[in-house]
Amino acid sequence: MRTHPRSLARLVGPVLLIGSFFALAACANTPGNTYDPQGDHARRIYELLIPIWWMALGVFVVVQGLLVYAVWRFRRRPGSAAMPAQVHGNTQVEILWTVAPAIIVLVIAVLTFRTQAANAVMPADAMRVTAVGHQWWFEFQYPELGTEGKPIVTASDMYIPAGRPVTVVLEAKDVIHNFWVPKLAGKTYMIPGKTNYLTFTAEQPGIYRAVCAEFCGEAHALMRFRVIAIDAAEFDRWVAQKRVPPPAPSGTLTVNGLTGDAARGQALFLDARKQCISCHAIEGTNARGAIGPNLTYYGSRQTIAAGILPYSPENLGRWLREAPGLKPGNLMSRVLTPQWIRANLSDQEIADLVAYLDSMKVSVALPPER
Amino acid sequence: MAIAERTAGTISPPDIHARPGWAGWLSTTDHKRIGIMYLVSAFIFFLIGGIEALLMRIQLGTPDNTFLTPDVYNQMFTMHGTTMVFLAVMPLNVGLGNYIVPLMIGARDMAFPRLNALSIWLFIIGGLMLYVSFFAGGAPNVGWFAYAPLTQKQFAPSAGVDYWIIGIGLTGVASIAGALNFIVTILNMRAPGMTLSRMPLFVWMQLVVAFILIFAFPVLTVATIQLLFDRHFGTRFFLPSQGGDAVLWQHLFWFFGHPEVYILILPTMGIISEVLPTFSRKPIFGYAFVAYSGVAIGFLGFLVWAHHMFAVGLGPLANAFFGAASFLIAVPTGVKIFNWLATMWQGSLNLTTAMHYAIGFISMFVIGGISGITLASPPINVQQTDSYYVVAHMHYVLFGGAIQGIFAGVFYWFPKMTGRMLDERLGKWQFWLMLISFNLTFFPMHLSGNEGMPRRIYTYEAGMGWELWNLLSTIGSLLLAVAVLLFLWNMLTSLRRGAIAPADPWDGATLEWAVSSPPPSYNFAVVPTVQSRRPLWDRKYPHLHESHDPGEESMERLGAVMHDAAETEPPIPAGAIHMPSPTYAPLILALGIMVLGFGIIYLGDLGLAAAAAMLVGLLVMAGGIVSWVRISHVDSPHHAH
Repeated sequence: MRTHPRSLARLVGPVLLIGSFFALAACANTPGNTYDPQGDHARRIYELLIPIWWMALGVFVVVQGLLVYAVWRFRRRPGSAAMPAQVHGNTQVEILWTVAPAIIVLVIAVLTFRTQAANAVMPADAMRVTAVGHQWWFEFQYPELGTEGKPIVTASDMYIPAGRPVTVVLEAKDVIHNFWVPKLAGKTYMIPGKTNYLTFTAEQPGIYRAVCAEFCGEAHALMRFRVIAIDAAEFDRWVAQKRVPPPAPSGTLTVNGLTGDAARGQALFLDARKQCISCHAIEGTNARGAIGPNLTYYGSRQTIAAGILPYSPENLGRWLREAPGLKPGNLMSRVLTPQWIRANLSDQEIADLVAYLDSMKVSVALPPER
Repeated sequence: MAIAERTAGTISPPDIHARPGWAGWLSTTDHKRIGIMYLVSAFIFFLIGGIEALLMRIQLGTPDNTFLTPDVYNQMFTMHGTTMVFLAVMPLNVGLGNYIVPLMIGARDMAFPRLNALSIWLFIIGGLMLYVSFFAGGAPNVGWFAYAPLTQKQFAPSAGVDYWIIGIGLTGVASIAGALNFIVTILNMRAPGMTLSRMPLFVWMQLVVAFILIFAFPVLTVATIQLLFDRHFGTRFFLPSQGGDAVLWQHLFWFFGHPEVYILILPTMGIISEVLPTFSRKPIFGYAFVAYSGVAIGFLGFLVWAHHMFAVGLGPLANAFFGAASFLIAVPTGVKIFNWLATMWQGSLNLTTAMHYAIGFISMFVIGGISGITLASPPINVQQTDSYYVVAHMHYVLFGGAIQGIFAGVFYWFPKMTGRMLDERLGKWQFWLMLISFNLTFFPMHLSGNEGMPRRIYTYEAGMGWELWNLLSTIGSLLLAVAVLLFLWNMLTSLRRGAIAPADPWDGATLEWAVSSPPPSYNFAVVPTVQSRRPLWDRKYPHLHESHDPGEESMERLGAVMHDAAETEPPIPAGAIHMPSPTYAPLILALGIMVLGFGIIYLGDLGLAAAAAMLVGLLVMAGGIVSWVRISHVDSPHHAH
């Protein structure tokens, strides 16, 4: 048995290595890290994961340890031809190692069901947001917060009050999507023909990365969004502004050497020949397209084209010119083909459109990215 | 050993049953040739699926990479999954089973040799049809799970999905026919004395898998035919906008899809249960526990399908049930692992390459099992599902588990099949390279998944913390490819220059080692009589028979003595053994089904032309059936085999 300590010593290396890998991942404050929960739903999952992870580590060390030990201890040495004892089994031992994993999974099951129950609760006072999955962007409706029966509608940025439970009502327009804000909550599918619910509370103000997690077609990888949790007073300010249509556009904006005029941009936007209003809506105007995202107060978006470009007037101009290349397969690129743009949309007109869209802003103090 | 060599020495007459050259392969009904065709074609598909994986890994090596377009990437992951599941791992297991099971149970062939030939041809044709899609408007690009309604014509207009339906359908028919063949063979054609409780565990697991298959596969077949009708003939089974149900597809798919996991892994657990005892020079520890835990896994496998659907919103009660059922599977799986460890315990471990792979299987499968525990817990699952964590978990089970198990089986049985030994030194180098690069490829995926990286994305942005993990995975996958190429090299060179394999190179205990390497077409000149779980060891080490199965009756020992007397009689001349004659009928029938399949794919779009193709296909099928029946008519009255 003098071999014992050495074989154990061999184990230390790999275990430490794997352990430090996990530790590295857990400590890193990366934008989508489920080991850095910032919402109650995600935190309860994390708190369930930790004891299971220790149990798993225990099982890992025991089984791999026995395996390595057995290989080392019982390997055939040169010249030893002795026949080992022919043991066929031992019912008692086998019952023991049938019962042992059963007890471990029983414990895990009990812990699991407690967390499951807690994460299924939908408080009556939770704010409701309807999230609709489209190929390939997220739409958000606030039915409780609109005016005259019309909800506040936006896309790609989901504003919520921090510290207050939010129940997201999940729907899908075309195919199945999957709503995932890793730091706030686990995934829930958005399924056409079915309504799902997900309740969570963002513990503190912050901008949280989120994605569609179910494969939903060509540009699935480019279907992202942000959850922007702001404190209650700031959220009320956001709502108050969103309930009112944007004022008539005025002013100019210089992008890449071209000066766009916001008023001219609005006229272009509403011109049916430019195709914008076939798909897009802007409150307070005749733009009522319901196929693409609602662009009211577009100037306050965090990103362009569902999370793939940071919002800036330059990037917006680029998106209008290069939609097919930036997001393959998306509907807008089927209309705004390079040939169509050459024939129908000059650089000056794009600058005007950018100036118009950028002019519609909501004033909110943005929290940090978490 | 002495008896085995004598057996090999005395019985190696020329193979009078096969036609020469290619014709011999195309018309064969020999389970061994069919097994080799399964193994070779499945290995080619394994290489192709591997190339698809490499292309994906190159694309994901750096953020915002443009090596593949999104649509090509989507085709790659769809084809990679479909290929590895249906065209690589499954048929590799079937191939090993086809070759080894009849030998292990002392039979001369499968129960239905022509049906066996039909299975291999349908499998190959199904696989080829799937790949024809690349040249017919694009491969399927909807994922191997093909979730509705993305598979509807309006969202997936190319014929790729139709090729997928027909390709999977054909391999499905091949699998169901093969499963029935295995069940009848194993239940009816065991050598005298081989009771179910003396059957090798590899045969046990093949039997369990055959039963899983005949219950699981028809569900997939029905679902894919419904999908075909949705796409072309106006039904709306899975189209919610017109009253269909998208979730129904998921239930049907996973009711097949989860048992499918056990279809992939159980045969390799059977391989491990043969390899470990042989190279530990001990019997398997707790034979009954190992066998029945396999049955339990097969049974429970049908009760856990919705753990693939915890995020679908089935409700807490359903999720709790399926979570609990999934936890339960940890019990029989744990039993197997501990029994394998106990088999090695106090043994005399001969660390051959096959043994390396068997041990590697246990080690990696344990990791896959542990990561499966968190996925079985519904609350944790909703964080980990559809993320790279699942990709890691599933590859630890299917590569670290199933593929390593298959490698163990190939190194173990290659000498039996080819008469040549694989290079053990090269094999061990390959094992270590593969083990390290496998972990380098897949371990980081646990971490990228937990850091929020979703599956099935063709690109990702910088700054999410996923760059390092993805780069490591990509490097690992390239090294993994080198390891697979080493194996290919080992096989090709060993086939020509490998050491000549004796009948029993590993001091095996089961009947396949009693015949020459490779075995004659009729396998056994004299059908052996079996007295225990280790029939060959009974002959080689009669003194150990005392310590055999505790419940052995003395009557059976009497039988052993009588059997040994019979063994000394001269073998029956080879010509007197009736074997199924070679025939092209199964191949013709399969080709007819292929033409019919093309017709079905284009029936909705081309109408009459496709209908004409279907008619031609039916006529060819009819020709195949007629020639099949005529041969059966000639054969059957004379001999029972």
